[in-house]
Amino acid sequence: MTLRFENVSKRFGALIAIDGVTLDFAPGQITSVIGPNGAGKSTLINMAAGSYSVTAGRILLDGIELQRLKKHQIAQEGVARTYQNIRLFDGMTVLQNLEVCLFAELVGEAWAEVLLSGAARRSRAARVERCRGELARFGLEPLAEAMAGDLSYGNQKLLEIARAAILRPKLLMLDEPAAGLNHAETESLKRRLRELMRPDLIMLVVEHDMSLVMALSDHIYVLHQGKLLFAGSPQEVQANPAVQEAYLGSPGEIDQIRDTARRRTNRVRIRADADIERRRPHSV
Amino acid sequence: MTSDRSALNGAAASPALDRLGRARAIALPLVALAAAVIAVLNAPTYYVRVVDMVLIYVLLGTGLNMVVGYAGLLDLGFVAFYAIGAYSYAILASGQFDIHLHFALVLVIGGALAGLAGVLLGIPVLRLRGDYLAIVTLGFGEIVRLLLNNLDWLTNGPQGISRIDEPRILGFALAEPQDFFWLLLPLVAIAFTLVWRLECSILGLGWAAIREDQDAARGIGINTTFAKLLAFGLSATLGGVAGVVFAAFQRFVDPVSFSFWESLTVVLIIVIGGLGNLVGVAVGAAALIVLPELLRDYAEYRMLLYGAGLVAVILMRPRGLIDRRYNPAWVMRLLGWR
Repeated sequence: MTLRFENVSKRFGALIAIDGVTLDFAPGQITSVIGPNGAGKSTLINMAAGSYSVTAGRILLDGIELQRLKKHQIAQEGVARTYQNIRLFDGMTVLQNLEVCLFAELVGEAWAEVLLSGAARRSRAARVERCRGELARFGLEPLAEAMAGDLSYGNQKLLEIARAAILRPKLLMLDEPAAGLNHAETESLKRRLRELMRPDLIMLVVEHDMSLVMALSDHIYVLHQGKLLFAGSPQEVQANPAVQEAYLGSPGEIDQIRDTARRRTNRVRIRADADIERRRPHSV
Repeated sequence: MTSDRSALNGAAASPALDRLGRARAIALPLVALAAAVIAVLNAPTYYVRVVDMVLIYVLLGTGLNMVVGYAGLLDLGFVAFYAIGAYSYAILASGQFDIHLHFALVLVIGGALAGLAGVLLGIPVLRLRGDYLAIVTLGFGEIVRLLLNNLDWLTNGPQGISRIDEPRILGFALAEPQDFFWLLLPLVAIAFTLVWRLECSILGLGWAAIREDQDAARGIGINTTFAKLLAFGLSATLGGVAGVVFAAFQRFVDPVSFSFWESLTVVLIIVIGGLGNLVGVAVGAAALIVLPELLRDYAEYRMLLYGAGLVAVILMRPRGLIDRRYNPAWVMRLLGWR
């Protein structure tokens, strides 16, 4: 069980976002992909999930060529993801957000749910129990009946991960899971991601928060302008001068960058909260 | 929502009130049914006729609501499926070709034909979203109406098909609006039950996910094309069933009855009632069918007042007359059924 990007390229018009990259991802490991903005990190996730077509190359999960499949088929092959900008089903409850993830598994029995009231009650109860269990793992169980769009920003991020986790994926791809989270939330995220890890799970994380990346990752790929710049363990990445220069800047600049990053995530957070406020129905 | 639930839980805690609750669960529907019997037996035919039309539009609204309310796909050509159902009965149970099939059989055939048409329409158009989908479905509605108008050999063209058979069910001939009330009431009850269960099923959740965010829905493994085709097909089937009943009720069909205005009325019913809510469909149908009847006295201002009423509702209650929390589950709790 491996994930392999094989000579993968992605072109948007004249822009080459990913340029002939070959990457391998091993099960039982958390592999992070880092790099400056525009390095093509999210593009990798979007291609593997089927959101973007692949210009050239192959993406192989267990020998299955993902780039040939449709998006929902990729998901059914055991690929789950979260999004850089949270994409929950806002008008549905927290519980329903998880229940609906069982669609592919259960839709064959939908007719029984409609025609036989006994079967409906049983299958619904089983579904709800399973989803509540998953919510409990993420500490979201008390919010099960709340509308997903009304949750706090941090809880929305968690719910998105819960939604991916209940799919029991072989490959879990997280696109900036810590963006906009405060320190405490990031710490609890770190713990939860470790708990999610199984020996047969490939976890791919794209993240800007370097302390999280360094603490969490077993292996790191550094992308720069669509190409692989460096690969190695967190220690090797931190020690590599090329990475320092391309991504982190000179040691003096690092503190400065960290400061701006912190300010920026705060701003993102405020904006996201304002956005949630705006989307809240007037009647509430 | 939490407040009325806790109020009901409080009621269940007291044994006396609990017995009252159980009595209420059985008594209320019986009282309502008895009231309906008395009203229908005594009311002037005209009133019963209006109620029948309301029930037919409830069927239509329930059907269209699956596509527009649940799956979030704006379909402006729904009248096409209504027309296919109506003409199925008109052609298969009249002197047109001297075919006289049983009403129940045509109910199945008309529903199936309309459902098939829904799936066939869905295959090419469901790649489109939003406004584009609305325009293409609007075009489909018009195409069907024009076909009915011009396929003289089949549909008798603009003159329509008259002297459609009286439906007979278990030996009773359905002739008066009063008779049709007893046909429509169970039909609406069955449709409501099945569609409400659909809404609560995994399929209904899938539709809601598609409505909220189609790409994210694909990302969790929902075959959106399949789910949307099912919504289109099931919705069209219900439209076809309503059409069969309508043809039997009017005993006359012509293409004028299936203009774009009909599609619009059904869309308005679900929007005014409250999108995606079956209780809203019922209230919306009652409001939009009864209101023009009440305004009959003001003949020339009728449509103006009707339009003003719609604008007022949209301005004051942009989410529809009935709030989402007053859904069938709320009604069942109120009746003490769950």
